[in-house]
Amino acid sequence: MRFDSARADQITAIVLFALGLAMLIGGYTMDRLEIRQIHPASIPGLLPMILGATMMVCALALFASASGRAERAAGDDRQEGAEASSASWSNLAFAAGYSIVYALVLVGTLPFFAATAIYISVFVIHFTFDPRQSLRGRAVRVALAIGFAVVSAAAVSLLFQEAFLVRLP
Amino acid sequence: MEGLATFAGTFGTFLAPTMLFHVAWATLLGIFVGSLPGLTATMGVALLTTLTYTLDRDAAILVLVCMYVGAIYGGSRSAILLNIPGTPASAASSLDGFPLARAGRAGYAMALATAGSALGTLVGILLLVMLAPPLAEAALNFGSFEFFWLAVFGIVISGQLTGGVSPLKGYIAGLLGLMVAMIGSEGIHAHVRFNMGFSQLNGGIGLIPAMVGAFGFAEVLTVMWRAKAKLVIDKNEKDRILPRLTDVWRYKFTIGRSGVIGTLVGIIPGVGEDIGAWASYATAKRISKERDQFGKGSQEGLTAAETGNSAVVPGALIPALTLAVPGSAPAAVLIAALFIHGVRPGPMIMIEQPDFIYSVAVMLVLATLAIAVFGLLLSRVFVLVLRVPREILMPLVFTLCVIGPYALTQRIFEIWVMVVFGVLGFILRQMNYPMAPLVLGIILGTLLDKSLRRGLILSDGSLTPFFTRPISATFAAVIALSIIVSIPACRRWLQAGLSRAFGRKGA
Repeated sequence: MRFDSARADQITAIVLFALGLAMLIGGYTMDRLEIRQIHPASIPGLLPMILGATMMVCALALFASASGRAERAAGDDRQEGAEASSASWSNLAFAAGYSIVYALVLVGTLPFFAATAIYISVFVIHFTFDPRQSLRGRAVRVALAIGFAVVSAAAVSLLFQEAFLVRLP
Repeated sequence: MEGLATFAGTFGTFLAPTMLFHVAWATLLGIFVGSLPGLTATMGVALLTTLTYTLDRDAAILVLVCMYVGAIYGGSRSAILLNIPGTPASAASSLDGFPLARAGRAGYAMALATAGSALGTLVGILLLVMLAPPLAEAALNFGSFEFFWLAVFGIVISGQLTGGVSPLKGYIAGLLGLMVAMIGSEGIHAHVRFNMGFSQLNGGIGLIPAMVGAFGFAEVLTVMWRAKAKLVIDKNEKDRILPRLTDVWRYKFTIGRSGVIGTLVGIIPGVGEDIGAWASYATAKRISKERDQFGKGSQEGLTAAETGNSAVVPGALIPALTLAVPGSAPAAVLIAALFIHGVRPGPMIMIEQPDFIYSVAVMLVLATLAIAVFGLLLSRVFVLVLRVPREILMPLVFTLCVIGPYALTQRIFEIWVMVVFGVLGFILRQMNYPMAPLVLGIILGTLLDKSLRRGLILSDGSLTPFFTRPISATFAAVIALSIIVSIPACRRWLQAGLSRAFGRKGA
């Protein structure tokens, strides 16, 4: 399924409708601060209620337009694979998954320098590894990737720690 | 005239060697960032904001302005050589720049882009100096009712103009931004909203971590997802790398017109450089005598697009400085940076810091001179930048995306915000939701909320002043018309009505 397909828009419309409804209810049930005797027109939930209701209307409009598009495009599945052929889902999955692990797990668990050196070296090795190369060629490439990662991690760490006086995680 | 005199007086203070050094490195870095597909001006400004934390006010803003100008200009490099705009602002440039490169005239195309960008920015700076002070003065008359409509106007117009074929997606992006702005302590009664049990959300979502995620992490994912681009190598040694003055003179009207169009587009809240380029390009195509050459390597087309996108930069700073309403996504980040460095943009700026607008104009002039010098002298070097493998560049960029937001507050929570916005930004962008209204929504949420409730307190709960005060009524009418026109059925009905009316008139 493509990101910009009618089906994706329909699912998004449902999610957005739920989000709008949640905000409307959240705004309506929000504390009206009567105990502080504020003006009733200045309750904190006023704008969230308006935004929630507007989002629900927009979500309905999106669902209607996506349904119209889906009907027109029914039976024409050839276009669906067009973008997929020029994009790599495995690259995306690795880049996203590994980067999130680095940001949310490695940073904070390991010292920043070590976490960054590991992240960059594994990222570079994963995307530049070529099994068709000779063993020596692969070893050189891995060594270069590790060298680049260590130098980059050291440079970024020193820049923030020494120049910007940041206590690194 | 008085403004121009103050502008000249301010110039001297920025000619110190340290300032010129900042101009040189920040503009060069900006050009590199803009050149590389996937790295945008917004991301560059957001990341650099985290690096300018310890600089003094003028130096920090100078660095950010140079990054902004450099990145918008740098986008033309990859548009010409790869047929992939380095930033969305250069999308129109690739239409004629790439065919010129394929014809062996990449060097000359880059030279024309340099001349167009530099002259476009200068036109914009002139308009900034002339328009910003009176606009700030006029904005002093704005009350809560007007500011409410101004915020709505920004979201609606930005959503409509950046939403492409579907303004609805632009509106939804704007609403999402406004919803994000509802998180945290509100500005009138200090009541904490929607913190979902996380005390870290009491202060709200920081713009910089959100922007670094939506424009940095999201772009890292996009670059790694898409197929690699092929570089058109300029092998024509006889190709000029300096623009001919006769060509620049020949396109003087195109440059002037595109500069004005770009600046005016920049003034419209949250619209941005890409629309400025497309509007200038479309106008030039309609008026040009060589319109059949557009899209096939027209020098005039390339000049119009590059002049248009660069002129948006000073234009976008006009509302950013005088109303605190950004004209583009990078200008939104710049507003956040201004607050960090103790400058309060808005109508009071001409009273509190009357010289600041002229300081920004001087910064823009210096950045323009830098792009002209670097653009013309380092043309061949920039081609080498495009050869940097993405597999090496992207992990480094992501490392900065992680440590940059953390450095601002030294809270791990900011990294979480960056990651969440990165994933959301990637998905939304692939689904054709524009990012500019989202950014604008985050910036304008507080203004919208405070203005609505203050206005209602002032009118004792009555909505009448929102529709009867002259400026408010004008804003309300324009907004209503914009929304009506964006609904296909209403648009068809209006078009039919107009054609009937003109038909009758003709008969």
